[in-house]
Amino acid sequence: MNMGISVSFEDVSYTYHNGDIPALQHISGDIKDGSFVVMMGHGGAGKSSLCFAVNGLIPRFYRGKYSGRLTVGGRDVSQTSIADLAKTVGLVFQDFEAQLFSTNVELEMAFGPENQGISREGIGKRIDRYLRFVGLEGMQRRDTATLSGGQKQRLAIGSVLAMEPSVLVMDEPTTDLDPYGRERILSLSEELKNHERTLILIDHEPDAAVGADEIWLLRNGQLAAQGTPGKILTDTALLESCGIKALPTLALFSAMGWPWQPLTLEEAIFLISKHDLAPRRKSGMDGNRRKSSNRHVVLEAKDLSFRYPETSADVLQGVNLTVREGEFVAILGQNGSGKSTLARQFNGLLKPTSGEMLVQAKATTSLKHRELARLVGYVFQNPDHQIFASSVREEAGFGLRVLGEDPGRIKIRVEEALAATGLAGYEERSPFLLTKGERQRVAVASILAAKPAVLILDEPTTGLDYRHQRDAMEMLKSLNRIGHTIIVITHAIWIAETYADRTIVMKDGRIIMDGPTREVFRDETRLGETSLSPSPIVRLSNRLSMNALTLNDLVEELKS
Amino acid sequence: MNLSLYRDEDTWLHRLDSRTKMIGVMIIFVLCLCFNHPLYMAGMASAMFAIAVSSRAHPVLWNLRHILILLILFSSVLWPFFIKGPTTVWTWKTLAVSRESLLYGIAMGLRLATFVMAGLVFLATTRNEEITGGLIRMGLPYPIAFALVTALRLVPTFAGAGATIVQAQVSRGLDLESKNIFGRLAAFIPLAVPMFITAIRYTNLLSMALESRGFSPVTPRTMYYVSKMGKKDWGALMALIFFLAVFLYLRLVCGAGVVMPGRL
Repeated sequence: MNMGISVSFEDVSYTYHNGDIPALQHISGDIKDGSFVVMMGHGGAGKSSLCFAVNGLIPRFYRGKYSGRLTVGGRDVSQTSIADLAKTVGLVFQDFEAQLFSTNVELEMAFGPENQGISREGIGKRIDRYLRFVGLEGMQRRDTATLSGGQKQRLAIGSVLAMEPSVLVMDEPTTDLDPYGRERILSLSEELKNHERTLILIDHEPDAAVGADEIWLLRNGQLAAQGTPGKILTDTALLESCGIKALPTLALFSAMGWPWQPLTLEEAIFLISKHDLAPRRKSGMDGNRRKSSNRHVVLEAKDLSFRYPETSADVLQGVNLTVREGEFVAILGQNGSGKSTLARQFNGLLKPTSGEMLVQAKATTSLKHRELARLVGYVFQNPDHQIFASSVREEAGFGLRVLGEDPGRIKIRVEEALAATGLAGYEERSPFLLTKGERQRVAVASILAAKPAVLILDEPTTGLDYRHQRDAMEMLKSLNRIGHTIIVITHAIWIAETYADRTIVMKDGRIIMDGPTREVFRDETRLGETSLSPSPIVRLSNRLSMNALTLNDLVEELKS
Repeated sequence: MNLSLYRDEDTWLHRLDSRTKMIGVMIIFVLCLCFNHPLYMAGMASAMFAIAVSSRAHPVLWNLRHILILLILFSSVLWPFFIKGPTTVWTWKTLAVSRESLLYGIAMGLRLATFVMAGLVFLATTRNEEITGGLIRMGLPYPIAFALVTALRLVPTFAGAGATIVQAQVSRGLDLESKNIFGRLAAFIPLAVPMFITAIRYTNLLSMALESRGFSPVTPRTMYYVSKMGKKDWGALMALIFFLAVFLYLRLVCGAGVVMPGRL
């Protein structure tokens, strides 16, 4: 195999049709044949634009101001049609729902090769080969709608691989996945390396980049740095400036002043035991006690079971749960474990099939939606499912207006809600023109304005980069401090670890773990049954019999 | 939740070529137009239901039973006011209802229900890709066939998004149970705008995904699922044409199955 240049950027700049600042600025660099490159950067840094440029969607689909030269396999991208280029470059999108359109798995796999005019026998061979590669063998006839999120994303990858492109681009393929699904995708990218295929992966978690040949760091549309993982990932200041969380093991070692730079947890544990960095101590496993046991009960589920009408399987089975005022609860579980279904019982969107759901001691079946909207606020995962007004002020005040509040009161409440969500000054802006993170805030503000006793958020951090995830969670934490009960449904483990006092783990419609966050994350075997695992810091903390759930706590505990 | 109508089974109807099924549905439509006597139409509706059961498509009909019942009810109640028959059974001022118009109404209800059932059974037993393939084989250009079938494919997707939007707005206190017309109109915008935005975003992404997978309306492509017209297909079509001939003979020559002469 020749180690030629696969993708070559020569001073590529691009500005979207209606954008005022360039999305890509003077990008130059080469990607070698068969190499594995990870692109990282903050939200809006130009990562997706770069993917689209490699695949020809820029400038063919997104028209705009394009300059410079980008070649793939020697062909000038701007002179080639997207369909033509698809033979060389495959693109996997972040949103796995929109990229699957066939009615079963094998037809999804066949779609690309069909477009390439490959014979039936040839298509059949490719389907077998690449379904096995992505671990979906035997599922040929499955309806794609019945697959889990992780399976859908693996199918999307398989369906692109079936076209046998020499360059595979994956645009944040793991952001909507649970940790198990994420790990499967990342291990696929490792395997792809052995297939002599150039792989470009976009991700904003540094652990995805550890096995890469090269990392490209993007900042405000510019290439801030490029180099090996050993060089880039150890430069914490550089990563921070690009909105990337530092590798936890590196951050720990540098905070402790230990002179090594381990990239993986295994390496870190090895170094710690080898140099006896954390001497054994009397294990003070007290954990964080729940401090709210005498507070009011706001939500109570009693033997709650639920099934959708016209179906035979229970989505929730015998759930018992009490949530008290002022708690910060995280609900974890794989896609399809019943997290969202349970949360929709809390505000009466769904009513129990058997058992009871009480909100402030009243059954949801006896309350109207309007009454419940004042007690329990529910922020949906995708803010675009609710935003409709022409200004942020109007959007945030919508709930109060339909609830019949008087205008003076609405004005005050809206201002309070916008201030609490960091949107003061945005009153007259159009919510449609805000960034994803800001739209998410508008959605929270519009629920918050009604001052519900309980605030439920369904995946509040998807699609946000690390910086915005932290901002969003800090905002929730401060709301929690002033007395709001917060329930977060998430698959981002570190969010539960860092912010929740209490963690609930669901599997197959049942609650299988429920307790103080520290206790839940100590039981790694039990968590493993649901394909979840604590973050590296907590795993390290567990290994050292410590109580820390965050990096700062761990450093403090080690130093004490 | 899966909102698609297709049921993945392996029955005689699933195995028929999609062209046979498309032509078959059209012949069934014409068959339904042959009679307007409720007993004859009840026979047709039962036959259609039997076909649904034999192809295991009946759960789809069961899920949509409310619509089917409403069709029959509305038709039975409304038709009698619009046409007149010889035997008057009830009068009120200028309104008169006759025995024949009542029977005709019931027959029309059953006819509509049979139409809808035939369509549903077709969608429950035929994959989108098979419909595309069939349309192309019947001479429709690929881009048009693909667009038609993709529109069909998007219905469940948008229905799902619509359900989420309704839930999201109801959670904010939107009142969909309002009785007065202004309340209903006011509820329309908070639902319509996000629906519109979601649809645009989705179709945009879908077209990007299609192009990235090498989809191009002009270049020739192959098909992984190829079905041929077999003996069974010709048999099914012959049987339907035979029925058509018999029905036409009964109606036109013998004048059977008619409560309202001179009407379809």
